[in-house]
Amino acid sequence: MLSLLATILVPFAASFVFFHTPAQGANLLPPLSCFIAVPLIAALLIIGAPEKFSRWISLFFASLELGIGVKVFFIFQAIQQVNPTPGFQLVEEVPWLKNFGINYLLGVDGMSTLMVFLVACVYFAGALISWNITLRRKEYFVYFSLLVGGVAGAYESMDLFFFFLFYEFAVLPMYLLVGIWGSGRKEYAAMKLTLMLLAGSAFMLVGFIAMYFNSNIHTFDIRILGDLSKTGFDANFQKTWFPLLFLGFGVIAAVFPFHTWSPDGYGSAPTAASMLHAGVLKSLGGYSIIRVALPALPLGAKFWLPMLVFLTLINMLYAAIVALKQKDFKYVIAYSSVSHCGAILFGICTLQVSGLNGAIIQTLSHGIVAAMTFALVGTVYGKAHTRELIKLGGLSAVMPILGGLFVCAAMANVGLPGLSGFVGEFLIFMGAYRSGFQGGFTVFQILFPIAILSIVLTAIYYLRLVQMVFFGPLKDPHLKDEVKDGSFVEILPIAFLLVVSLAVGLYPKPFVDMSNATIAPLIAQIGGFQ
Amino acid sequence: MLILIVELLLKKDSSRGILNWLAILGTLGAIFSVACLNCSGAGSCCMMGGGVPTAFAGFLKTDGLAVFFKMVILLATLVTLLMTFRYLKAHPTAYPAEFLAILLFSACGASALASAQEVITLYISLETLTISSYILASFMKKDKGSNEAGMKYLLLGAFSSALLLFGFSYLYGLTGTTVIADMGKALAAQPASSLAVLAVILVIAGLAFKISLAPFHMWTPDVYEGAPTPVTAYLSVASKTAGFAAFVRLFWVGLDAPGLHYTWVGLFAVLAAISIILGNLEAIPQKNIKRLMGYSSIAQAGYITTGFLAGGQMGLTAVLFYLFVYMVANMGAFLAIVIVSAKTGSEQIEDFAGMWKRSPLIGVVMLVCLLSLAGVPPFAGFAGKWYLFGAAISQGYTWLAMVGMVFSVVSLYYYLQVAKQALAVEPKDSSPIPMNLAEKAVLVLSVVLTITLGFWPTPIMELAQSAASSLF
Repeated sequence: MLSLLATILVPFAASFVFFHTPAQGANLLPPLSCFIAVPLIAALLIIGAPEKFSRWISLFFASLELGIGVKVFFIFQAIQQVNPTPGFQLVEEVPWLKNFGINYLLGVDGMSTLMVFLVACVYFAGALISWNITLRRKEYFVYFSLLVGGVAGAYESMDLFFFFLFYEFAVLPMYLLVGIWGSGRKEYAAMKLTLMLLAGSAFMLVGFIAMYFNSNIHTFDIRILGDLSKTGFDANFQKTWFPLLFLGFGVIAAVFPFHTWSPDGYGSAPTAASMLHAGVLKSLGGYSIIRVALPALPLGAKFWLPMLVFLTLINMLYAAIVALKQKDFKYVIAYSSVSHCGAILFGICTLQVSGLNGAIIQTLSHGIVAAMTFALVGTVYGKAHTRELIKLGGLSAVMPILGGLFVCAAMANVGLPGLSGFVGEFLIFMGAYRSGFQGGFTVFQILFPIAILSIVLTAIYYLRLVQMVFFGPLKDPHLKDEVKDGSFVEILPIAFLLVVSLAVGLYPKPFVDMSNATIAPLIAQIGGFQ
Repeated sequence: MLILIVELLLKKDSSRGILNWLAILGTLGAIFSVACLNCSGAGSCCMMGGGVPTAFAGFLKTDGLAVFFKMVILLATLVTLLMTFRYLKAHPTAYPAEFLAILLFSACGASALASAQEVITLYISLETLTISSYILASFMKKDKGSNEAGMKYLLLGAFSSALLLFGFSYLYGLTGTTVIADMGKALAAQPASSLAVLAVILVIAGLAFKISLAPFHMWTPDVYEGAPTPVTAYLSVASKTAGFAAFVRLFWVGLDAPGLHYTWVGLFAVLAAISIILGNLEAIPQKNIKRLMGYSSIAQAGYITTGFLAGGQMGLTAVLFYLFVYMVANMGAFLAIVIVSAKTGSEQIEDFAGMWKRSPLIGVVMLVCLLSLAGVPPFAGFAGKWYLFGAAISQGYTWLAMVGMVFSVVSLYYYLQVAKQALAVEPKDSSPIPMNLAEKAVLVLSVVLTITLGFWPTPIMELAQSAASSLF
């Protein structure tokens, strides 16, 4: 226990102290590159070290990463004190292929700072939840660390080439994690997930290259691509490519009808992989729509979003209804995640400051809450050895702490005020309201009340879940003697995520300010629906 | 090249084990001399603006482009030689020396092809390459598959060579010269004629066979399956690279007349699309790894053609870079296949199960090299495809790039099937796979190169660029 705490606290404190805010002086090492390098170094060390050290190395570096993530958050906050919309900070630029205009270009603005923070939190929790993996442990932690390295790079890249490279870099370990350590129809699920994600990215890639060649300045730098006065994309180009990019990114965020990889994938994936995928990788979809598609192709966005919003609406409602009917514990959570991602995309479609801010906060919140819920499902499954809802029941009698935590997680999913889910959803619906009732008639006037219905559905299926799994009489009497409540290592990551969710829910101001640092200039630049 | 020929004479009398090493040494020497040529060539170009070494009255010219192609061909030959060690140990034959000699002879033809400036020379070197390959493919006399492969290859190959020669004869008739550069000038001076179009079609048909571009690909899976594995590896890389060398010279120098340009570019676009679609779809149901690689190589030829038809400095750079990357990945994968099938005696995909337990290195090679072929980041194949499709989109072939990208995802399915066997499935027999130091070194090198070139392609890119600039 002591050594566990030391492995967590020492690297966390070390990296927290090692990196400085601008007021404290210059940084010895670039924090953003370190943020990518830490998990990759962890992977290399795990390959080299004996198997019994694998999980310790993984945890050590995850805490290090958490320290950097939190510090980057504070650094950006400190910069924001001076200038509320500072644009990209901590920029690192290394020329890579000059004649193709590709640079190794890292930087964070408000939105990506939040995502970096999210990656750090989920990585840390995932490393802890994987503590008791025994099958091929060494390889497991190698793939796990590589996955994080890829995602971290994708959120920090300002160059589309590297963005794409890191993103696909993350998909590959995902395939292996699901295919080897998964459960159920794991090979089918792994293949489906990989192929669908990469098929989406094929559209992304062609879109990126088309943008490169059609812009006045041939570049992959999103700061330039996001500025219409420099790129000069004409209206036709924008209208052609926006839907393709939206759907390409949308596949990552499981937009209807390309959501089918998500339930199967999450249903089969090992716990930490579901956490990282639902929490972090999936968020990349909405993130990249805001990052790339909206600023680069605003006319296309205004033309298409009132139509594409129907897809996101189907996501929210259809997935929620399907979640109601699921028989497998984990599938409920998986569909709930699809429904929540629908809400994120719905927020983006409003093209309103509050709607987009809500989308980003909801991304952060969904990342944390989904990770927490998957961690709980995984832990409960590890104890009860079944995920079928009819066989579960009354579990809070034998595992009261886990039961209590699950109720909290369910409330966070439903959007209870005080927890993070509320802030995001509130902002999204505010954005939808404004989009609908300011100016002339828009489609949001009709959609807004329908969208709110999804909250009701979410409440219904989560309460049903809590009731079926944790309350009532204990269905399987054998569990009474065999099963203990969660151990320290199992409780710690879940509790940690709960604390983060509470922090966002109770004091959302710094988080909203930070996302606003990206959104306010973006909307000012492209303008909402007229 | 000289060294290769000396090598041929030397080894008839030497004993078996030494032979192989001698051959490797010879190839190393050839690579070294090519590398020297590269340096001196580049140096003299800077100083005098064109002191490129030439031979046979300018029929062979070793410009930057030729050096790059030779580099790829010779490196592939080197790894093929390494494979023959193990292959011949597992499949004894009475004529090991001849096997090596013919292999080197074929490599000699391929290298000559890379620097041929004149259609007759080009044809002769091409025949040197392919006739040797016919023999190599059918080398295992007792093996039915090998004989079938050789026969099929010979019949179809001879037919395609005839078509090619037929096309050349028309071109000669139209222009009165056999030197490719003069041919280009003469064709540009005259109005486009249907005869020239016919010649172009014949030449494409003849050469497309050599690089197994659909619909001239029928022989590929059968020959790849039946031929001795090192030969399959050799055919898939060296022979294909040589074919592209011929394509580049013939079309971008000889047939780039304004009236003809769009004809052949359009034809190639169609062929590339068919190859990508057919190759990838037909690879999916394959059970035999060599057959799978055969179909995969058809698709790969399609991707490379995509960059080739885009042309210009950018397209050609992309082609060269991708050929290098393809060579590294394909040779790595084939070396792993040779090592595993020498141990298990099987070439079925399911017999690659459990490499993570039997030999983690081979497991990693299967993952990295095959996914590089699929074009998944962060491996080199991704950077390669990015340039290929980038070049195609810059020339307005967005649809072709789209086809290429979508079918790259399809290809991922069958590559992942192999990777899954190697990394996820429990083996039936978990005895380790033996391999020697040289094999280990090459496998590690292929993995390291594939990963580093994915993150940092600049060195090879710059080489490819300076090579491409000798043409454009």
